[in-house]
Amino acid sequence: MSPFQWILIGVLGATLGANVFATTTRRLAPGTGVLFAILLVVGILAAIDPDRVTRVANAVGIQRGADLLLYLLVPSTIAGFLAMYVRLRRVRREMTIVVRRLAQLEAEPGGRIGSEEVAGNDGHDASP
Amino acid sequence: MVVPLYNEESVIGDVLRRLRSTFPNVVVVDDGSSDGSAEAARTEATWLLRHIVNRGQGAALQTGTEFALARGAARIAHFDADGQHRVRDLLEMSRLVASGDCDICLGDRFADGAKEVPRGRRLLLRAAVLFHRVASGSELSDVHNGLRVLSRRAAERMEITADRMAHASEIVDLVTNSNLPVRQVPVRIRYSEYSRGKGQRWTGGFRVLLHYLVGRIFG
Repeated sequence: MSPFQWILIGVLGATLGANVFATTTRRLAPGTGVLFAILLVVGILAAIDPDRVTRVANAVGIQRGADLLLYLLVPSTIAGFLAMYVRLRRVRREMTIVVRRLAQLEAEPGGRIGSEEVAGNDGHDASP
Repeated sequence: MVVPLYNEESVIGDVLRRLRSTFPNVVVVDDGSSDGSAEAARTEATWLLRHIVNRGQGAALQTGTEFALARGAARIAHFDADGQHRVRDLLEMSRLVASGDCDICLGDRFADGAKEVPRGRRLLLRAAVLFHRVASGSELSDVHNGLRVLSRRAAERMEITADRMAHASEIVDLVTNSNLPVRQVPVRIRYSEYSRGKGQRWTGGFRVLLHYLVGRIFG
């Protein structure tokens, strides 16, 4: 095996170890942990024996193993970005709710608060 | 009256003074301004609410609307802080909602020919109208006018979730789906050098479109 293969196996192995630790200590959801573990094991097996990937590629009608990896990488990267984007949107929305609530709780009376604050006193009031 | 405020220190005092000559209750929502806008607004506002970080005009409008509803407002008006709207237009719109003529009254700058609207902006706004006609089935002729008056029940039904400028497009959908009586009233927009400098550009228009589409897809 080439030095690159050893480095890759080491990195993937360490990531697998961290993933197992995070899953067993409930820092990572079980479903996500198992999915990552499967992907990492497949990656380690592919790094140990790259010809195995080529055989799998040939079995599904693709000539080279590298092409198979590329074809799998593109949709999974897009799916990953979408998942992160959806999560980011949710976090932003939650942040807005917190900011909004804080603003409402800490509303400051302005210089013009007083008798006018009774709604509708001018007959065409469109405000609180 | 809900006025969303972001970095309008030089004009907000005059805008609020004009407003208060007719409308006594003004809720200003400072959306995390980095200049002295909040301080400039404080003396003329009835209530000043402050977002501790900038969340966008849509978020500020929703904050102010919720606050006004919680304090028992019969009607809610949205009025831009940069001084481009006229108080007399708002007065007319407010009267229509108060009389029960409609629940939602929207400003329409195109009703009188929109001669004052710069050509580039007119094209952009016309494209937005066309888009909403196709995408939402909207029959509105001015879909990105910040001047609007809502009855209490209309405001209660509307929840603006688009934080930034896409809220105007979201409001079009909410209006279209509300099944409440809607009216558009001719209004004039003051396009000063100041407001032109702060207005939407084509790139901004595309960003709004992107945020709106993403919002419709992902909710």
